[in-house]
Amino acid sequence: MNRREALFSLGSMAAAGGLASRAGAVELRGVPKPTEMSADHLPTPARTGGGFRVLTEETDQKTVKAVFDRLIPADDFGPSASEAGCLEFLDDQLSGDYGAGKALYLQTPLRPEIEEEIMGSPQFLATPRERYETGLKALEAYAQENDQAAFHALSPDRIDEILTGLEAGEISLGDDVDGQAFFELMLQNAREGYLADPLYGGNRDMAGWKMIGFPGARYDYRPYVDRRNEDLGLTPVSLIPND
Amino acid sequence: MAKWIKIAGGVVVVAAIGAGGWAWSSLNTSRSNVADDSVTLAEFTSDDAEAIERGEYVMRMGDCAACHTREDGEFAGGYQIATPFGTLVSSNITPDAETGIGGMTEKDFFNAIRQGIGQHGMLYPAMPYTAYAKFTDEDMHDLWAYMSTVEPISNDIDENGGMPFPFNIRLAMAGWDMLFFDNEGFEPVASESDDWNRGKYIVDGGGHCAACHSPRNALGAEVASAYLQGGNIGDWYAPDLTQNPHVGLGGSSAEDIASYLKTGSDGVAVAAGPMAEAVEHSLQYLTDEDALAVGTYLTALPASDTPAPAAASLGDADTARLADVYEVNCSACHGLQGEGIKGMVPAFDGNHGLLTDPTNMIHVMLKGARAAHSHTAETAAGMPSFAWKMDDEDIAEILTYVRNSWGNAGEAVSAGKVGEMREQLGAREPLSNPGS
Repeated sequence: MNRREALFSLGSMAAAGGLASRAGAVELRGVPKPTEMSADHLPTPARTGGGFRVLTEETDQKTVKAVFDRLIPADDFGPSASEAGCLEFLDDQLSGDYGAGKALYLQTPLRPEIEEEIMGSPQFLATPRERYETGLKALEAYAQENDQAAFHALSPDRIDEILTGLEAGEISLGDDVDGQAFFELMLQNAREGYLADPLYGGNRDMAGWKMIGFPGARYDYRPYVDRRNEDLGLTPVSLIPND
Repeated sequence: MAKWIKIAGGVVVVAAIGAGGWAWSSLNTSRSNVADDSVTLAEFTSDDAEAIERGEYVMRMGDCAACHTREDGEFAGGYQIATPFGTLVSSNITPDAETGIGGMTEKDFFNAIRQGIGQHGMLYPAMPYTAYAKFTDEDMHDLWAYMSTVEPISNDIDENGGMPFPFNIRLAMAGWDMLFFDNEGFEPVASESDDWNRGKYIVDGGGHCAACHSPRNALGAEVASAYLQGGNIGDWYAPDLTQNPHVGLGGSSAEDIASYLKTGSDGVAVAAGPMAEAVEHSLQYLTDEDALAVGTYLTALPASDTPAPAAASLGDADTARLADVYEVNCSACHGLQGEGIKGMVPAFDGNHGLLTDPTNMIHVMLKGARAAHSHTAETAAGMPSFAWKMDDEDIAEILTYVRNSWGNAGEAVSAGKVGEMREQLGAREPLSNPGS
C-alpha cells in the first residue's frame, strides 16, 4: 500500500465511521448501574501457604536471603528484607506474569551488537525467572570456587565485598550471567518486596512504609496538602485492612 | 418451611372466602361504567393531543415504565419481580392484540388498572392497582388515550409461570382483595388545602408510595396502621416518610421533599437503589407544583411513634481507630464532618434515613450504589463496592461508627447481618490477606 492508497483508505474509513455512527445513533440514557470493580481490575494477592513455587531449592532460598538481608539488614528502624517477607514476595512474583516476562519483548533483537547502547541498559531474552535460576546458581558456584563455602555461609563482610564487586561490574559470574545486571535485579526486587502493599506478600506489618513514613493507600489527602515540613504521623493504610 | 405452609394454608382459606363472596364490594366494577366498552385498544388511536400529553404524565406518575419496560421494548413487559410467593413477570401492556392488551376495551382497561381484574384473571398486587384505584376517571381516560399511541410489540409473557402452587391460582387474589383491597376512588378532604389534597392523590394513587414505604403483613398486604412508616423490601429498606423527628422526614420542608423527588437529593440524603429508579422513571417528571404538593402532604403527616434509636457504645479507642478508617475510606466523598457533597453524595450529619434499619447502608457497602440520573442532576455519582476490601466485621464497625458520629445515634450494625446480606446479594468475598 502506497501513501496515496493509505490516505484514500483512511478517508473512506472515516466516512464509513461517520455514516455508521449517524445511522446507529441511540440516545444514551441513564448511567450504568453496577459500581463493583470487575474481577480483572482487582489486585491479585500473593497466594498464602503451600511454600515456595519457584525458589524451591533450599540453597537458592538461602542465597537470596543472604543477599536480601545485606541489602536491607535489620536495624533499629525496622526488620530485615527477609523478615519483612521479601522472599515470599519474590517467589510469588516470579511464579506469575512478572516471572514469565509477560510485559517484556523477548524476541531476538534486530541489532544485537548495539542493543544495549540504544536502550541504555542491558537487554535480556531470558525472563526474570530464568535470570534468577541461572544467577543464583552462578553466585553459589562463585562462592564455592573462591571461598570453598556456600554463599549463604559467608561472613557479612565477605558477602558485602562480593555484592560491591558485582555492582561495580568487577566480578564476573561467567559468560551466561551479567553479574552487574543480576545485582540490580535483586536490589530492585528487594526494594519492591519491602515497599509494595502487604497484599503482595512482602512489607509485613507495613514495616517498610512505617520506616520511610509512607502513609499508604489512602483515598484522599486534602486535609493535609497545606501542612508542609512536619511529621504528620499518619498511620499507614494497606489495601486490605489488618495487613 | 413451616412458614411457607402457614402462608399456603392462608392463601387457600383466602381463596375459599373469595369464591364464596364474589359479589363483595372489593370486586365491584361499576366504577368502570364511565368507560367505553365497544372499541378495543388495538382498534383505537387517540387524536386528542392534549389528552395524550396528560396521559403520558399520568403514566409517569404511575411509573408504569419502570416495571413494564425492559430490553423487549417500551411497555413490552418482561421485568421479573421476586416476591416471597414466587417470581412474577410484568406483562406486555402495548396495544398488541395477541400478546399485549390490544384486545381490551377502555372499560376492561379501567377494571385492570383500578380493580386488578385483568384479561387473564385477577392481577397480583405487585401491580399496584391497590393504589391506582385512586385514579380519577379523567386521568384514566387520558392514560387510555396515551396507551393507544404506544407502538404494539409482540412479546408473549407468562406472568405467573414462576409462581408455585397455590400462588399461581389467580382466583386466590379475589379473596386477597376481599381482605385488603379498598375499592374506592380518591375523595378530597374538604378541610384540607388543594395542595394537600393533590399531594395525597399523588402519594396514595399514581405514586403508590406506600407500596414500598409501608410495612407488609404475611400475605403481602400493606399494614394500614403503619401507613408510610417504613417497609423492608428485601434487599433494600424504604424509610419512614412520616414526620418522625428521629428516623422519618421530621425537619424536612415541603421544598426539601420536592427537590428530592425531582433531583434525587434534598441536599442531605441522596436516592439510590429502587428510589433512584423511581426518580429517574417517574418522579423527576412531576411538575414543580405537584412535587411541592407531595411535600405539603408528607410534611403534614403525623409522626410515627418509632422511638429514637439507642446509641451504640463505642469505646474511645474504637472511636479513634474507626475515625481513621472513616477518614481513609469514606471522607473523600462523604466529608470529614460527614457533610457529603450537596446534591451528589449523601451527608451523614443530619441524615435520619441511616439511623434505622441498616439494610441500605450494608447493601451499598457490599454492592456499591448509584444516585439517580435526572434532567437537573445528571452526574449520578457512584459509590464503589467495598466487598473486595472489607470483611463483615470491618463493614459492621464502620457503619456503626457512621451511625454514631456527628450527633447521630443508631444501634450497632452486626457482622452477622452483613454476612447474611453478602450471601443474599451475591457480593464477593474480600480478597484473601497473605499476612493473616
